[in-house]
Formats: sequence, structure tokens, C-alpha cells
Amino acid sequence: MSQLSSRHLLGIKDISPEDIQLIFETADNFKDVLNRPIKKVPSLRDITIANIFFENSTRTKLSFELAEKRLSADVVNFSSSNSSVKKGETLIDTVNNILSMKVDMVVMRHSSPGAPHFLSRNIKANIVNAGDGTHEHPTQALLDAFSIREKLGDVAGKKVAIIGDILHSRVALSNIFCLQKLGAEVMVCGPVTLLPKYIDTLGVKVEHDVQKALEWCDVANILRIQLERQQIKYFPSLREYSLYYGVNRKMLDRLNKEIVIMHPGPINRGVELNSDVADSEHSIILHQVENGVAVRMAVLYLLAGVK
Amino acid sequence: MSVLLRSLRVIDSGKIHSARNFIIKEGKVHFVNDVKEGKYDEVIDCSSFLGSKGWTDLRCSSGEPGEEYKETLDSLGELLAASGFAKAVVLPNTIPAFQNKNDIQFFKAKTQNWITEPLIQAAVTKDAHGEDFTDMLDLHSQGVTVFGDGLKPLSNPDRLMKALQYLKKFQGVLFDHSFEPLLALFGQMHEGTVSTRMGMKGIPNIAEDVAIQKNIEVLTYTGGRMHFQTISSKGAVDKIRKAKSLGLNVTADVSLYQLIFSEEDLTSFDSNYKVMPPFRSQEDKDALMEGLKDGTIDAIVSNHQPQDFDAKYMEFDLAQFGMLGLQTFLPGLNRLSEELGWPLLISKITDGPDSVLGTSVEDLQNLTVFDPQEEWLYDRNSNLSLSANHPWMGQKLKGKVKLVFNKGKLAKF
Repeated sequence: MSQLSSRHLLGIKDISPEDIQLIFETADNFKDVLNRPIKKVPSLRDITIANIFFENSTRTKLSFELAEKRLSADVVNFSSSNSSVKKGETLIDTVNNILSMKVDMVVMRHSSPGAPHFLSRNIKANIVNAGDGTHEHPTQALLDAFSIREKLGDVAGKKVAIIGDILHSRVALSNIFCLQKLGAEVMVCGPVTLLPKYIDTLGVKVEHDVQKALEWCDVANILRIQLERQQIKYFPSLREYSLYYGVNRKMLDRLNKEIVIMHPGPINRGVELNSDVADSEHSIILHQVENGVAVRMAVLYLLAGVK
Repeated sequence: MSVLLRSLRVIDSGKIHSARNFIIKEGKVHFVNDVKEGKYDEVIDCSSFLGSKGWTDLRCSSGEPGEEYKETLDSLGELLAASGFAKAVVLPNTIPAFQNKNDIQFFKAKTQNWITEPLIQAAVTKDAHGEDFTDMLDLHSQGVTVFGDGLKPLSNPDRLMKALQYLKKFQGVLFDHSFEPLLALFGQMHEGTVSTRMGMKGIPNIAEDVAIQKNIEVLTYTGGRMHFQTISSKGAVDKIRKAKSLGLNVTADVSLYQLIFSEEDLTSFDSNYKVMPPFRSQEDKDALMEGLKDGTIDAIVSNHQPQDFDAKYMEFDLAQFGMLGLQTFLPGLNRLSEELGWPLLISKITDGPDSVLGTSVEDLQNLTVFDPQEEWLYDRNSNLSLSANHPWMGQKLKGKVKLVFNKGKLAKF
């Protein structure tokens, strides 16, 4: 298999385990490229990519842009803060205006779940979902699984606990789909109010005690509290959250095994994760960031080959 | 003017009768034994059709006044007749709401030429905001007997209690689409496995169940008449069934499309499937079917809710709720006819809604005749609504209304 089964990457839900393996193998090659003195390849020299971000983003946007430039694509950036969206323009109008300038691929972040699916029915360009509300963030899940594979050799058979604000997280859902497709066991852990009521129907274990989750897992992926997506109060205070759901060094010391700590960033230090864990030898957080560029290069490169 | 309907099989009293001949003459329908050829102005061969008393829809929306680009009262009237309805209750959620004497007079004036008998559900609170009451007695003096806030629930228990008490003076019926808004905050679709997979905030069954239980308790205290509109959850069916068994004066209806679609239809984020109440699980759908069979649910409604293109052509969570329901009504019934049978389905749009309204129509005073087999293309050309928010748009549908006779007028389609 040398081609993805879809011309878009809308979500992990929609792609096959073979697609994921192909992305990983391609990312392995690009990771080698990134470690060379000349980090650029001409693969997407004739391709123009628009990064359309309707929500704030630092690392994802930077990571995509770097991946695109390493592939020699032409890149244009657009964010809602300097767009006509605030003047009441519709999503379709905004994107069509950009596409009129002969753009081949769209990388989009949007606050509405399903916004890239809606777009995919109405425009011709390839679409990469860079996060749609509380739905999916497929490239984050791919780079997370890629990082686990790199650290532990394989994803299959590993136990991964996703801890934190699952309800408002697009990373959680994409991670669940991706890890399960690769044969890992998944647990979610957090306050009951921050877990979707029917999350167990996705075939994950559910835990509310962080220490127990850490004891169970090989890998703990700690998610940040998405205060910007919480329209009402879901828990009493950040203080209480950090006391009962935050991960600190003492908790890791109580384990009689080594586990891997991950975080998609940005970290709320002292809330969901203490610095003595984030910066410890357990953490592969910066590897995730590094792998993000290689995985996104792989996704863009492969999608450009699907017409 | 006399029209012979030759060999029409009429559905009533729980069965489909063998083919008989009817004539429409001097504003009435008559059963005839002897057919004398050449005696009639027109002869219509009805041998492949079915007929029944004229149909009643207890819930449909107009955009007029205020949002005429979605649906006018003229287009709604045309739609209702072409969809087989001899009587229809129009919701009050216009801008402004149908809520005072002048509004009712406007409504009557605009609908006087309808084939369908127009009824209004007058707003029970001003602008359907759930706070100050409208002048209910004054509205009743204009012939209004059905009150409610239409698309919005009367969720304040004090308002509900006093409305039920106040309506008792003239046996008015309070219609309510019951759900507790605080338990459905930011909800976009049914809360369940599918909403979880889609990362979408859900509208849980409990939002409906709690409201219906609360309203039943209030009704037990006040007495009076309450009609639950567009119930959608298994819990709602169970609670209404129990209330009926205890002798409480409650009735209920369900949207036809609630019986056809389910949460699984939403996986592609198509906003045409975004409705309120939301399409729920298969278990809920099964309970609704059971509720129809055992009489817990009295009526099936179109819940026709037109939304213009720009209100739907956008991100799912920003799109408006609602789906068209009139022209697709018979094709929808067709899909259910195998499981529920025509006699039951027809009773839910004739005798059932009549009992909700406290009216009864003598046999053959009005008539709806339809061809359950005729196929037709539902597209921009055949669509009679000013809106097009239905997922079946562009598809070939089966089942076509052929004629409606009502108010002494005959409309053929």
C-alpha cells in the first residue's frame, strides 16, 4: 500500500490501520530528513497549502507550517483574528475566496465539530483537520501514537491512560480511535463531569482515581483543562482539580514501574501536570513536538498523492 | 358539479374496506350503490387508491409573519392541501408570535381560502418567552382552544400550573413540547454513543423525561387538559402510558420523522438531520412504535419546520433546528405501513388528533385520497415549500396524495 484510502484527513475514525501504518512509515523517512543538515525536500514543490485557523493555535500552526515548508510547498496563512469572519462571512465563503487563489490543500482548525466534514462536501481541495471543536485532532493522535511507537517499540498491547478533561478534548477522541486501531488498550480518567456519559461505549476503561490510572497504564497522556471550551462550571476550582486530578512526582514514585508521560501542550503547569513530572526523564513531551513535524509532513505528502 | 370516485377503498374503524363508489355532490360525499354511467361531470378511477376521513396535522410552522422567506401562510396552505391535510394546527413561533386578537384575525384572513381548516396554537406566554401570560380568554373569544409556546417548552412550573388552571374555564388544551432546557445546555443532538463519537454536546433523554414527569405531577394537582407534543424518548412513552392508566387527561403526539430516522443518521454532520427533539436511539424509536400501537401516543404530526438555505448550510452546531415534514408525510407513512399497517397510521392522523382537539368529524364530511404506490421525484421543481431542508430532497419517493375534499371544495393533485 502506497496511498491513503481517503483524499482528506478529517478524523482518525475515517481511516484504516493500514493508513496509519503508511503514515508512520512515511514519517520515519521524513524524520531522517529532519535530522540531516539540509532539512528540505522538493516533494510538494507545485502545491499551495492554506493554513486556515479559526481558533487560536501556536504549536499546531507552527508545526504544520514548518512541515509544509520542509516539503517545499507554497504556504499561505489565515487566522480568524485578521479575517472577514468577524464581519459575518460564512465558512464556505471564506474558504472559497481563498481557494479562488488556486490553493490545493487546506489545513483547517475550527471550533465547530464536523466543520471540515461540511467543507469536504463543498470544496474540491484536500482537507486536513487540524482540530474541530471537541471532535477530532487527527494529526495530534498520529504523532502521539508515533511517539509511543518510537519510545516503546510498538503501540499494540500497550496500556494508555488519557487523563483530564475528556469532555472538551478533541485529542482524547482521536487518541482513543488511533490507539484502538493500533491494538492498544485505552483508559480515560477524570472527574465524572468531564467525561462524556457514554464514553464507555467506545470500548475504553473508565477510572476516576488518577493514582489507579497511573498504576494501570504504560503510558499516561495528560490533557489540559480546556477552560476556553467550558461554557459553564464543570468542577469547583482549579485548586481542587490540581489536588485530586493533577499528576505529580510523588504519584510516579509510588509506582513500582516506569511509565511514559505525554501531554499535547500547552501545559498548565501546576494544574494537570507538575513541573517535576513534565521535565522528568519520564516525559516525552518534547519528542511529541518534534515528531509532530515529521508526521504532518507524512500526512501532507500522502494526501497530495490522492486525487 | 358531481364527481364519481369509482372503486375507492376507504380506511376507517381499524380496517381497509373493500372498494366502493362515492360521489361528491353539493359539497358532500355520498356513498352510492348504483353507478349510472354518463351521469357525472367527472369520473375518477380510484381502484389503486386508498381513502379516509381528511387528515389532521397537530403541528406545523409558518414563517409568516416575520420570516416569510422560510414559508408564507399561502405556501403553507398549498403544502397542507397537497399533503392530504384537511385540518392543521399552526405553531405560534412567528415574529411577532400569534398571541393576541389582531394576530388571530390576521391569521384567519390569510388562511380563509385554504382547503385545509386552519387552527392556531396561540402563544400561552408573551412572545413564547415563558413568562407573562397572553390574554387567553380574549384569544378564546376568537375561537382559539389550543394554547402553548410551540417550539419552546413551558418549563417554568409556576407558569405551567397557572396556565393549566386558567384554561379550565373553557376546557382549553395546553400543548407543550416538554423538555428541561437546563438539562440540555448547548446540546446539538441526542446524547448517546453517536454524539460521543462525534464529539458533540448531547441532548439527553433525561431532559425530556424530567419535564414530562414534572408536568404530569403538576397536571395531577391542577386538573385540566394537557397534550405532549413531539415526544421522543422511551421514558416519555412510559410516563405518559402510566399517567393515562391512572386516568389523567393527557394525550401525546410524535413527529413522523422521529419514527423514521435515528441518531445514526447524523454521523455525516448533515445539518438537515438536526431537529428538536433530536433523533434518538433505536430503543427510543422502538418504544415510540409501541406507544403508537397501544394507544399511549394519540397522533402523528408533521412537525413541519421550514428553514431557509442559509440557516442550514453551515457548520452543524451553528445550523438551525428543524426539518420539512409535509410533502414527505405520505412517503414517510408508506415506510411505516408494513410495520404499523394503514388502519393504525390513518387513525393517528384522523380520529387520534380529533380526540386531542375534542372535535369529531362525521364520516365522509371530508376526504383524503392517496395512491400509496405512485412514485415521484422530490426536487426543486416539485417542492412546494419555500424552504428545502429535508434529507430526501433529490430522491424518488413513494406515495402521492391524489385529492382532498374539505369545506365543500375538491383539490386534485
